[in-house]
Amino acid sequence: MGQFDKAVELLKNNLANSIVELKVPRSRKAYVFLKPEKHRDAISLLLKQVEDTIISTITGTDLGNEIELNYHMICGGTVTLKIRVPKIKPVTKSICDLISGANLYEREVYDLLGVTFEGHPNMERLLLPESWPKGNYPLRRDWKAPENQEDIFVSEEAPKPKSVSGASESLVNVIVGPQHPVLHEPERFSFTLDGERVVDVDARLGYVHRGIEKAAETMMYFQDVYLVERICGICNAAHTTVFCQAVEDIANVETPPRAQYYRTIIHELNRIHSHLLLLGVAGHLLGFESLFQHVWRDREPVMDIVERITGNRLMSGFNTIGGVRRDIAPSTIEKTLKTLKDVRKRADFYKKVFEEDATLRMRTEGVGVLSRKDALKLCVVGPVLRASGVASDVRKDDPYAAYGEIPFNVISYNECDTWARLMVRADEVLESINIVEYALDNLPEGKIRVRVQRKIPEGEAVSRVEAPRGELIHYVKSDGSAYPYRVKVRAPTLANLMAFPDAIKGGFVADIPSVMGSLDPCFSCTDRMAFIQLNSDQKWHWSLDEVNNQKKQEGAYLVGT
Amino acid sequence: MKWARRNSPWLLHFNTGACNGCDIEVVSLLTPRYDVERFGAKLEPSPRHADVLIVTGPVTRQCAPRLKMIYEQMPSPKFVVAVGACSCSGGIFQDCYNISGHLDQIIPVDVYVPGCPPKPEAILQGIAKLLEKLKG
Repeated sequence: MGQFDKAVELLKNNLANSIVELKVPRSRKAYVFLKPEKHRDAISLLLKQVEDTIISTITGTDLGNEIELNYHMICGGTVTLKIRVPKIKPVTKSICDLISGANLYEREVYDLLGVTFEGHPNMERLLLPESWPKGNYPLRRDWKAPENQEDIFVSEEAPKPKSVSGASESLVNVIVGPQHPVLHEPERFSFTLDGERVVDVDARLGYVHRGIEKAAETMMYFQDVYLVERICGICNAAHTTVFCQAVEDIANVETPPRAQYYRTIIHELNRIHSHLLLLGVAGHLLGFESLFQHVWRDREPVMDIVERITGNRLMSGFNTIGGVRRDIAPSTIEKTLKTLKDVRKRADFYKKVFEEDATLRMRTEGVGVLSRKDALKLCVVGPVLRASGVASDVRKDDPYAAYGEIPFNVISYNECDTWARLMVRADEVLESINIVEYALDNLPEGKIRVRVQRKIPEGEAVSRVEAPRGELIHYVKSDGSAYPYRVKVRAPTLANLMAFPDAIKGGFVADIPSVMGSLDPCFSCTDRMAFIQLNSDQKWHWSLDEVNNQKKQEGAYLVGT
Repeated sequence: MKWARRNSPWLLHFNTGACNGCDIEVVSLLTPRYDVERFGAKLEPSPRHADVLIVTGPVTRQCAPRLKMIYEQMPSPKFVVAVGACSCSGGIFQDCYNISGHLDQIIPVDVYVPGCPPKPEAILQGIAKLLEKLKG
């Protein structure tokens, strides 16, 4: 019996009195509607009895008089636990004490829908810009932007640096951002330093928050494909694939096999260029400029293939609901295979560079360690998780598109450091080239698209894919019209960012960029909905010795000790 | 002075809410295939040393005051290039609740490079146009 079946059986047997309805519409997808306040029982049951259960995100949906909360738990499949709270008094109990990874997700719901979670360590109003007026929850259905916006949004307070309470005199607060030379996206970090050592870090996101989830409700499903594509310019195919899958799931549409293969191909090409991009940026962050220039030069042929297949270098506009929009010409297939041969040679070479270059290894080995235990506790995803020794990959665990038919290996490393995170990506580039080549050689014949009605029947679906940066999850709810009732996105960076403070604490200032880079953050995805303050539930501060002791206890290797 | 500015414009890149598409294409400019440095241009991390501000993305409410601050910190004369559909007009995000407008509603703009995202060649052309403008 698989993990997923075990989880569903457990819920059925132990919580029969609390369950209002239990549906398993597809394999590895369950929706469990619980009586009010019973979510804690269900979640603690799953955490105790089913191994490696994590929480993916929490979706809040305004149903008119009630607000529905969906807890998307991952245990072999997706188990969505639902409870409802009245809109007049939207209060429920926090699950942070059960699983600390839920901290930010609860806060996101509080900010956007005004649901208070009792017992949350830091339930502060932290959402949106400082000037956002109180009592305005943009994701409630009845919320409308005030007409005279200028009056309301003028007061802009500059964010104040967090003062270090009880700090010794040697501690210094350094604020980086929002405009800064390291990343190309605006975020603000506040580092607490003791000499060259990082004692604490506090991140302030939300500079790229645009409000896509609300915008998605005002557009039709087919239009939304292009909107979700613009959540992120790098992993756009992952966003469109996961959104289309969710809508197809609700509409009960089977996409033709040829379209599944095409989706896989474009998804993997995205992964190749995204990983190459990161490997290059890693070179830049480590001061290895020539590596940056070389990798980016060799990334260009991949962009050329994408352009030839889809018509655009980044925004592919390739996937649509029911399949894909274009066929790939035989001459393009030939050209793609030829180019990939060259890319493979270069990728092999870069892998060797990362393996053998002494300076590069010295800068990355044992730096930014995130142990296996911590990685699971913080619910990190993707290459970051795989570099900490957990071979978890949505493509293998929960196959979608054509991944069930294509042979490939899940890469994982046990070193848990920055080097391992880069190596996972270097290896995955080669794996992805294999996948694309296999898919092109074994392309099934047939249609590339089935027609889907504009109006999507009533229903809901959770869909997951393995984006270049890790597990990406979309939740779509339909009310039977041509417009979605609710679209919820949880991008991998939000999950991975929680690892940053743990990975950098106790490290050197000079290692900040490389550790941050190795997590491959993508704030445009993360900020689409929320801004958060990392670690702000921990108001205490560690002295350097305490950091070291803590790290030693956990068996982690700390540089220079 | 004019001659120096024309032959070595220093660029500052700021993302005000872009999806990363335009940002990646701006970084591509620095790499061997496009090589913007042959125009003497250089990406500069500090606003106080920059001549040209390259902005990508619609301007979010969170970013608008910071953008103004960065623009004010740049020494005069200063020039602004709006890269991408979002920056030029708000693009697909123009009616979103957390968008305070497109770029020229916040600061004056000299060159617009439309596209979603514009190809690096297009951004190069935008910068070349700006250099022509500098020639006077």
